[in-house]
Amino acid sequence: MAQRIVTRPNDVRFKGLGPGFWPVTMVLTLLSIVNALYFLYGSIDWIMPGASQPVTDRASDIDGLFKFMAVFGGAIMLFVAGYVIYFAIAFRARSSDSPDAVGVQIHDAPKLELWWTVLPTLLLIVLTGLSIVVWYKIQFGTAAPGLTTEVIGHQFYFEYRYPGLKTSVFSKTSPMHLPVGVPVRLLITSTDVIHQFWVPEIRLKAAAVPGLVQNLNFTPLRTGTFDVACSEFCGVDHSLMHGKLVIEPVAAFKKWLDSENKTAAAAGGAINLAAGTPATGQALFAQKCAACHQIAPFEQKLVGPGLLHITDDPAHPALVTGKTPTPEHIAEILQNGFTGPIGTMPNRQANGLSNTDIANLVAYLSSLK
Amino acid sequence: MAAAAVQHLAGHEAVAARYRDVDRAYGETRDLRLLGFMFFLVSDCILFSSFIFAYVYLRVSAPTWPPIVDGHQLPWFDTSFAAMNSVVLFGSGVTMHFALENWKHLNTRKFNGWLIATIVLGIGFLLGQAHEYSVVNISWQGSTMGASFFTLTGMHGFHVFIGVCYLAILGIQANRGVYTSSKYFGLTAGTLYWHFVDVIWVALFSLFYLW
Amino acid sequence: MHAGTSTTHDAHDVHDHIHPPPEGFVRKYVFSLDHKVIGFQYFFTGLLIMFIAGSFAELVRLQLTDPKGAIMSHQAYNTMFTMHGTAMVWLVLIPLVTGALGNFVMPLQIGARDVAFPWLNMASFWILPLAALILFSSLLFGGPHAGWTEYPPISLADGTAGALWCAAIFTIGISSTMTGLNFMVTIMKMRAPGMTWTRMPLFVWATFATALMNMIATVALSAAVGALFLEHVFNVPFYDAARGGSAVLYEHMFWFYSHPAVYIFIIPAFGVVSEVIPTFSRKPIFGYKMIAFSSMAIAILAFTVWAHHMFPSGLAPWLQLPFMILTYAIGIPTGIKIFSWMATLWGGRIHFTTSMLYALGFLITFTFGGITGVFLASVPVDLHAHGTYFVVGHFHYVVAGGAVMGFLAAIPYWYPKATGRMLSERLGQLGFWLFFIGLNGTFLPMHWLGLEGMPRRYASYVDFAKAVPDAVFWNQFETAFSFLMMASIGLLAFNVIWSLRHGKVAGINPWGARTLEWTISSPPPYYNFKKVPEVYGRPYDFDKPLPYRNTDNELDAFPEYGKTVMPTPQPVGAGV
Repeated sequence: MAQRIVTRPNDVRFKGLGPGFWPVTMVLTLLSIVNALYFLYGSIDWIMPGASQPVTDRASDIDGLFKFMAVFGGAIMLFVAGYVIYFAIAFRARSSDSPDAVGVQIHDAPKLELWWTVLPTLLLIVLTGLSIVVWYKIQFGTAAPGLTTEVIGHQFYFEYRYPGLKTSVFSKTSPMHLPVGVPVRLLITSTDVIHQFWVPEIRLKAAAVPGLVQNLNFTPLRTGTFDVACSEFCGVDHSLMHGKLVIEPVAAFKKWLDSENKTAAAAGGAINLAAGTPATGQALFAQKCAACHQIAPFEQKLVGPGLLHITDDPAHPALVTGKTPTPEHIAEILQNGFTGPIGTMPNRQANGLSNTDIANLVAYLSSLK
Repeated sequence: MAAAAVQHLAGHEAVAARYRDVDRAYGETRDLRLLGFMFFLVSDCILFSSFIFAYVYLRVSAPTWPPIVDGHQLPWFDTSFAAMNSVVLFGSGVTMHFALENWKHLNTRKFNGWLIATIVLGIGFLLGQAHEYSVVNISWQGSTMGASFFTLTGMHGFHVFIGVCYLAILGIQANRGVYTSSKYFGLTAGTLYWHFVDVIWVALFSLFYLW
Repeated sequence: MHAGTSTTHDAHDVHDHIHPPPEGFVRKYVFSLDHKVIGFQYFFTGLLIMFIAGSFAELVRLQLTDPKGAIMSHQAYNTMFTMHGTAMVWLVLIPLVTGALGNFVMPLQIGARDVAFPWLNMASFWILPLAALILFSSLLFGGPHAGWTEYPPISLADGTAGALWCAAIFTIGISSTMTGLNFMVTIMKMRAPGMTWTRMPLFVWATFATALMNMIATVALSAAVGALFLEHVFNVPFYDAARGGSAVLYEHMFWFYSHPAVYIFIIPAFGVVSEVIPTFSRKPIFGYKMIAFSSMAIAILAFTVWAHHMFPSGLAPWLQLPFMILTYAIGIPTGIKIFSWMATLWGGRIHFTTSMLYALGFLITFTFGGITGVFLASVPVDLHAHGTYFVVGHFHYVVAGGAVMGFLAAIPYWYPKATGRMLSERLGQLGFWLFFIGLNGTFLPMHWLGLEGMPRRYASYVDFAKAVPDAVFWNQFETAFSFLMMASIGLLAFNVIWSLRHGKVAGINPWGARTLEWTISSPPPYYNFKKVPEVYGRPYDFDKPLPYRNTDNELDAFPEYGKTVMPTPQPVGAGV
């Protein structure tokens, strides 16, 4: 028995690919070309800081990838949005339509589907290849590093260690310095929680993970001062974990290292606790300590414990070093800091405390009754 | 405008004929519950696999294994006792198999016997684990070795415990006449669960005692 | 293998006969086994929590109008964004797209009378309010602070609140896993006679792919937060570096689930769009097989790309490569879908109902989010953009501009079937424009703010505002537009409730759609189908008669848009 398919008449009322299809396509192509020209030749400094004068070699590689993606991604976006809007308008149901009007009853178009699978795949293969080249350069570097610097994340500051420098440099009191033109390797880790070291102009970041050391390799290409930010949530003052990076000529860098060495040597000497004044200490506390400590009972932890009655309460718990809360032991912690499982008490350099500062703070804390 | 339409029917009739029986229209109940239970076991498998992944990751990334705690390296586990305990558990899998077979052949007394044997062996395994926990010289909190060992074997032991309770309930239900020779899905599920617990133990025993 | 079950008159069978109606208010509306009622329960609970989580987001936006932080302390802000993300992901999005939509629509579309395990379905729903209670109770203990990801070690400082967070997530995970299992068995075993896999509606394909991911991935999350819970409460060192643990381990375990999770959000929305666009273009879906199979391809690939969330986090360098390549690869099936939907629009007769507007908006905003995703897939670019507002912009485009838009398209589409009333078109269209404009205004500037240097999870941004003075304006701009989105959801809630009484009465098939749910009354009887319908073809051929036999109602061979179904004297598809 013959099988017949009888279907409803097709209600197609347009010619070709639709009314105005080709003009719309031309406009979208033109817009895509404008988009491409803009990203290839225009200034993208407003979105990628320092793009017109790359700060590092890797930065210009990454910007190149970004531009490639902006050119093609922009074109795809223009065509998708453009055609969706065009189809919605060109093929809208008119009020003169009968209620049973239907559209073109097609189910597929194998050749078209092949092209729209193959072309994006080819594009992604090219993009993958480009990304792999840049990835390789970032991960394995090209030259042996001329300088290796350690970056150690703490709550809520970065500590930098340089070869030949006996003490560390702390982001709260001093910028990080790097010499221009020297390939540098940063070794990044953390002592407490996960942080992330990021300088937007460098375009690279790495997580500072406790128990792990990560590498970042790049060569600074020009001088300047740049912002350092922590970009992995690390606690209550994550938003305040900032610093600066100074990239300077090699001679200036060497001079800076020398002066750091001298400052470290000069910072010794005894702390005269008797010379501290509570009033000065109170002002200093608000500036340096209040971000993490409250003047409240011990249990009221902000980041560190509350400090009320720290010296006059005989039942007060031991300090984090295990010692009793006497002015001398408190001064010790302010000097040396402490790193525990969750949390770091910064040492005096990290906090930028001089001997008199420590004396004043101790006097203030002892005055709290 | 709805013109009379002739539906293209070749092939469709054949498909529909397979489903003509309304009772079978919605798929068979036997497949539903069995499939559902198997999927449940798959998801339980993924739970164990995730913790096993954690254990393997921690072990492979540790500088030494067993790890060093407070200056001393922790001791390896003693394989011989655990091997004996494993035989007890695998034995209970065999007894469970026979229990189900006997049920299918309407040998209620033999079913009861094999089921009780299974339960006894299961409890024996749990007691063996309790002994192992008391003898092993590491703590849950002290190292990643303790963390992974006690967590994984603890989860497994919990599953065995639930299994023992489930089998006991099944035994009671079977003796109250809830199941017949053709309708005994609960017993099938119990058997599958019990075999699953065995399979997981194969993995854990290999990972902790043989590696 | 004979598993000891029989096919007739088993107490568990709801499938081969119609069980007596439930009686009493509690059995009918509280502890109901009916998938439609359970769908409603998920819908209202999810919407309520959406208001709460959305309000938290508004507080976050208000805080950022001032670089010093306008309204609250850092600690409070951290709690706000953590609870916003946590509640939205687990208590709003997944329950709404799987629990509400999946539950209500899928059994109707396959011609079933309920899901495979109705009691399990009911239990899965009731876990949701329990999990919500546990999560919100953490606020009594200060709340969790470390973001919806709650990475250790910092999350360990959350104390009791952190442990409660873990407990809440573990709890809701049980619900997701059971729902996934339930839906998979339902779709595999309970389709109407003649409904082969390639005759299933695309929303059912989407639900199947989603259920697969739900069932497999969620348990991995339970392990991750379970271990975190053990570390919180019993100090067991999975993640503590000092005792040999690893924070990166948590990230692996967490993201192994959380990447499939984002596909769990979006694939049901893909399914909705695949239903809405053909219906309101009056033509078949273009490329049915490719859309169906690409959903499955995405579901499987979803399990292979998780570490793209961890590129800067401490992965071995060689490991970044396969994840980058696979992440690019997953863009292909997604792109195929977008092009297929566009080809469905082409040559159609397009009706601009609220659903269609949301579907059209979806095509634009989801594509944009997908493209920024390709940027992030590239390891070098991600090393710049990770942890910044670029990521926040990206995922809100795909989640709010994708999953939520798809959900908002589904509501006016199936509301008439669920309630017998139409939603107000006027309010719906206004709601669409508020949402679309609000979404773009809120999330577009985040892309350039992020690349310029604004990290995420910042309660104040004084330094960034010094470096980029425009930042203050753009943050305020985003906050202003965010209120448009809130207004839209508020309008939706009003519309849903108002239309219950005052909406136009809907007939069986107000849209002239062709899937099985449109062959039964609106709202359907509790048993859905009195007679088991037989299926002879795909539901998308507007030029062929409806491919069903033995339907409850006599139907027009060719349902028309805007006309409710009138019985015709000729039976449909009669053999000759």
